[in-house]
Amino acid sequence: MELKKLQEHWDSFPEVSMEERPVLSSDLEKIVVKNPLSDAFYLRRRLLARIIIFSVLWIVNAVQLRSQWISDGPDISELVVLFGLLTYCLYFHIRLLFFADYPTLLSLPLISFLGKLETVLDKYILSFRFVSGLSGFYLLALIQYLLWTWNKGAHETLSHNDWYKWLILIFISVSVDILFLHSVIPKYRKLLAGVRKYREGIQAKAQYK
Amino acid sequence: MNNSSKKGGFDVDIRSLLKIQHKKVYAICRLFADTYKEHQFLFTNIMAAASQNIRGRRENSDKQTLVLRACINMAALHSITTEMAPVVERSIQFKSPDYQRSMTRLRQSIGEASDYEKFRLFLELEKMPVEELTHLTGLPHSKHVSGKKKEKEAGLRKTSFNFIPYLKRQLVWN
Repeated sequence: MELKKLQEHWDSFPEVSMEERPVLSSDLEKIVVKNPLSDAFYLRRRLLARIIIFSVLWIVNAVQLRSQWISDGPDISELVVLFGLLTYCLYFHIRLLFFADYPTLLSLPLISFLGKLETVLDKYILSFRFVSGLSGFYLLALIQYLLWTWNKGAHETLSHNDWYKWLILIFISVSVDILFLHSVIPKYRKLLAGVRKYREGIQAKAQYK
Repeated sequence: MNNSSKKGGFDVDIRSLLKIQHKKVYAICRLFADTYKEHQFLFTNIMAAASQNIRGRRENSDKQTLVLRACINMAALHSITTEMAPVVERSIQFKSPDYQRSMTRLRQSIGEASDYEKFRLFLELEKMPVEELTHLTGLPHSKHVSGKKKEKEAGLRKTSFNFIPYLKRQLVWN
C-alpha cells in the first residue's frame, strides 16, 4: 500500500525547474567528454606522470650502469640495486595503470567497481614505499654532489665508504616514507576506508535482505 | 542515421540514447541529491560516466545496462564522498517550491533507507525487474543467496589451490 502511494507520488513528480536543470542540449557534448571521476579516485594522470619520470630515470641509470660496468667503477652495487628498483617500479605502475583500466571502470557492476577502486587505492598507497626508496638513492646522490662542491675531502671519505652510504640511504628512505605517511597517504587511506565501508555495508544489507 | 556518424568527435548515437535515458538519470538523482547543486553535479557526472561506458563498451554489453551501471556507480561514489565530507546539517534545498515540496515528501516516505534499499526502490519505481539489480550491482538476488553461497563454498572447497594467503593477495589483484 505504502509502495503504491510512493509510486503514485513518483510518477507525478514535477520536472526540475529550468533554473535548476543542468543544460541538456547545447552543453551535452561538453558533459559527456568530461571525466566523471573526481581527482581523488582518478589516478591515471598521476600514474602516467610517474611512469614517464621512472622511464627517464631508468634510461639514465642504464647508461650510468653500463659506463660504470665498463670502467669497473666504485658505485656498481648501488647502481645495480637502483636499476632493479626502477625496473620493478616501472612494472608495478604500468601494471596498476592497465589493471585500473579507467575507460571501462565505471561499466563494472557496483561491487566489482568498488572492489577494483579499493585495490587501485591500496596499490597506489603501496607505491609510495617505492617512491621513498627511490628518493633515498637520489637524495644521497644530491648530498654527494653538494659535498663534492663544498668539501672534496668529505666527499672522498663518503664515496669510499659503502657502509656509510647505505646507512644514509636507508635513513633518507625511511624519513621520506614517514613524511609520506603523515602528509599524502592519510588522504588515500581515508578514501580507501570509505570505499571499503560502503562496499561492506551494501553487501551486508543484501545478505540481510 | 548512421550509427557511427560523428559530430566533432561526439557520437550522435550516444547523444540520442542519453536524451532518451535522461529521465532515469533525473530519477536516481532525486534519491541521492539533497540540493539542486548536488543534483546538477550528480546528473552531469552520470551522463559523462554513461557516455564513457557506451564508448568503451564491449560487443556483448547492453547499452541500457551500461547507463544504469553508470547511474548506480556514480550515485555510490556520491554517497561515499558525501559521507566523508565534514558533517553539516543536510536539508532539502531546491529553488522551485513545487519541487522542494515533492522532494521533502519523498524523503519523508523513504526515511533513512540505506543505499542498497534506494537502488532497489529505484528499480521498483522505474518499473524495472528487481532481478536487474544482480546485473547492476554484482550481488546475488536475495532469493538465491543462500543456495548460491552454499554452491560457491562447495566449489571453493573442491577447487581451492593451497595458496599462501599473503602471496595470493600480493600477486593476484582481484
